[in-house]
Amino acid sequence: MMLTFQGISKTFVSERGAVPAVRGVDLTVHEGELFVLLGPSGCGKSTVLSLAAGLLKPSSGEIRFDGELVAAPRKKVFVSPRERNVAMVFQSYALYPHLDVFGNIAFPLRVAKVKEESIAAEVARAASMLGIGELLRARPGELSGGQRQRVAIARAIVRKPRLFLLDEPLSNLDAALRAATRTELKRLQRELAVTTLYVTHDQTEAMTLGDRVALMRDGRVLQVGTPRELYESPRTPFAGSFIGPAPMNFLDAGVFEEEGRLHLRIGEEKIALSPGKAGEVRRLATGRVLLGLRPEHVRISGDPGPPALRGIVVSAENLGRERLVSVETAGGILAVLTDGEAPNEGDVVGLALPIETASVFRAEDGE
Amino acid sequence: MREERRIRIFYTVGAAAMSAFCLLPVAYMVLVAASSRPDVLSAEASVRLTARHFLEVLGTGSLHFPEYVVNSILVSGLSAALAVALAAPAAYAITRLELPGRMSFLFLVLAVSMFPPVSLVSYLFRMMSALGWINTYAALVLPYTAWVLPLSLWILTSHFSRIPRDLDRAALLDGCGRLAALRKVMVPVAAPGILSTAILAFIFAFNEFLFALLLTTGRNARTIPVGIALFEGLHGEIPWGMIMAAATLAVVPVVLLVLLFQRGIVAGLTRGAVRE
Ligand SMILES: Nc1ncnc2c1ncn2[C@@H]1O[C@H](COP(=O)(O)OP(=O)(O)OP(=O)(O)O)[C@@H](O)[C@H]1O
Ligand SMILES: [Mg+2]
Repeated sequence: MMLTFQGISKTFVSERGAVPAVRGVDLTVHEGELFVLLGPSGCGKSTVLSLAAGLLKPSSGEIRFDGELVAAPRKKVFVSPRERNVAMVFQSYALYPHLDVFGNIAFPLRVAKVKEESIAAEVARAASMLGIGELLRARPGELSGGQRQRVAIARAIVRKPRLFLLDEPLSNLDAALRAATRTELKRLQRELAVTTLYVTHDQTEAMTLGDRVALMRDGRVLQVGTPRELYESPRTPFAGSFIGPAPMNFLDAGVFEEEGRLHLRIGEEKIALSPGKAGEVRRLATGRVLLGLRPEHVRISGDPGPPALRGIVVSAENLGRERLVSVETAGGILAVLTDGEAPNEGDVVGLALPIETASVFRAEDGE
Repeated sequence: MREERRIRIFYTVGAAAMSAFCLLPVAYMVLVAASSRPDVLSAEASVRLTARHFLEVLGTGSLHFPEYVVNSILVSGLSAALAVALAAPAAYAITRLELPGRMSFLFLVLAVSMFPPVSLVSYLFRMMSALGWINTYAALVLPYTAWVLPLSLWILTSHFSRIPRDLDRAALLDGCGRLAALRKVMVPVAAPGILSTAILAFIFAFNEFLFALLLTTGRNARTIPVGIALFEGLHGEIPWGMIMAAATLAVVPVVLLVLLFQRGIVAGLTRGAVRE
């Protein structure tokens, strides 16, 4: 099923006044796609899911399932959650505590008045898919977090919904279980081929799971694209710092022209730009840019050729396989992710700047 | 360690004092009911025990005591059931629907319940007379339901608001309408709270005196408190023994009710519903 949001806004009216949780969101989730909503806490991700589910009515805009209106306040259209055939795994799991695991998974089928014999078969199928066949007689209270989460997923997939909504389903699992379940979820989604909207604030989850990712902030969608597009060409400094294994470095740089070539000035350093990058910088039409450098692309070397910066190592953290080194330079502190030998604090090092893979933003966009 | 022991001693002494304070009148009641020459105000009350008063209360046809017990149980049971049945959907609406002014509504209900019953009773009497309901169950069940409804609503609202919202949202997504979500999820999950609310409503109705006195004129609908108050001795003296025996017997249904449902009133039924 294809899901479309068109100019969707949602404003809550509460004791603290009007709270605009979602502001003018446009989204299209394609048939069978695993679409991830990524953003910091409070940016409106859960609200978007609730709007898709029909648990909330939008304040304005239109929501369509396969082109058919399901919510449009202007046209007084609202299809109730019951009629939308949407399944959701809640941030809190929301298992029915008075029912055992079988009863929980069977619940949507029983409500739909499916025959008891087929219910037993369907529940067994969903349970075995998630490896909880042994737990059917247990109460939710007796289960571990990982098991509860599986029950919640089983309950969602047991009735073949048109749309599958997942609200941070992995955030309560330990790191190992999270990685395992992530892979499994991806496989399950491929197998069922149900259009899926997946919410997370964890960029690793978004990058590994998503066919496409929408980055949200303050109720707005900032950028939509494949994980690779978001990683390689963030459109805002925020996108750069939110996506990637470590936050992007930002350097203030002046733009000037010399001998017909565009240059950047960082501190005392002058860096000539390749024609490609120069075009990019020209398009911004500004005299000052913010240069976004990924810590994993900056290299430490004893005697780097240009473009390079020199600086003093202020800290070096061991992250296991890699080391995160902070270097104070003329342009500010730069983080460097390296799996080579790490320098010691106080060392003066040279940094090779990966200008070709760097992102350039208008200086005004950096806050 | 010493701190812990001090707390334990305080706790035990406090609990004992509290229990004694509450149970002393009850013990006195049972004692008078079972003594062979009861005189509540006399220090020389006999301590020879007898079952005579109990047998008299149950056996004397003209007292109609067993009928009063049946009336009381039915009237209180119906009132409690009706009050909870009405309060549950109301509490659901207040806690779950985006209703404007739902808090003011709750306080309005509370304000209504503060009217002294005495102020209503004469009008109620005329209304019930006009309806021809005097001396029927309806004459008591209706006002009792109205009387315990605010209390039930407040208690249930507090129970429902403690149930995670995602639980009934899940029910809505699983295909339930609002009423089905209430019936299949909210009520079972809040069952302990609903049971204790119902028992409380039952006890309120069971002990009510004023309405019962004025709205019943004969044994068809008369309840225990009124029945006991109207007990008369043979020669005009107050039959303390029988009164206390009847009062003792009247406690039995309530105690049985609580014991019966105690198993249902287990705490922690929502354990495992959502991650804490
Ligand atoms: N029922 C409500 N009434 C008032 N404000 C609300 C309500 N629900 C959400 N909000 C507000 O809307 C904003 C977005 O909330 P939402 O739950 O969608 O965020 P989120 O991105 O899911 O965050 P998280 O990652 O913490 O779950 C927040 O500022 C929140 O306080
Ligand atoms: Mg959320």
